[in-house]
Amino acid sequence: MEYFGEEALGLVETRGMVPAIQAADVMCKTADVVLVSYENVGSGLVTVMVKGDVAAVRSAVEQGAAAAAAIGEMTAAHVMPRPVSRVGKIVSQHDIDAG
Amino acid sequence: MEKNDALGFIETYGLVSVLEAADAMCKASDVELIGYENVASGLISVVIRGDVGAVKTAVEAGVKAAGKVGAIYSSNVIARPHEDVAKIIARYFLDW
Repeated sequence: MEYFGEEALGLVETRGMVPAIQAADVMCKTADVVLVSYENVGSGLVTVMVKGDVAAVRSAVEQGAAAAAAIGEMTAAHVMPRPVSRVGKIVSQHDIDAG
Repeated sequence: MEKNDALGFIETYGLVSVLEAADAMCKASDVELIGYENVASGLISVVIRGDVGAVKTAVEAGVKAAGKVGAIYSSNVIARPHEDVAKIIARYFLDW
């Protein structure tokens, strides 16, 4: 799902892909957010990003981070309520639909 | 990915234990090995799919078997994956 920076952005980073996928699943189910990106950053770190309304993203990240921490190591969780548009440009480089 | 498929994951340190996990899972119940990913830094994962019950049994058996060979980092069963999660899994889909 393409992201241009006009919505809130939620990020959860974990060690390993299993907790990251669990976080993505929980985030998408828990609130009205859409998966924007999934990236194997390297050194075992995997990041998932979602977008949506600030409250929805905040709730999603909270639940997603907790779910990830329950089955693995959650290294970072963050909500950006309104990123500058150039941050959106970076995020769109990692678009899940871009292949 | 078919609509009613549950997903099972096992992530281990090293290739030896992940191969043992994959083998044990496929032998334990009616599941299909669909993907594999070398996450880096020694972490390697395998993904299976099938009915929820079969996937749960398989992951349990896989964790038990792989635990004897090496260290397991994490395992998980997603009973009914969200459609966006299917996009992630598609990246790891192996064309046998």
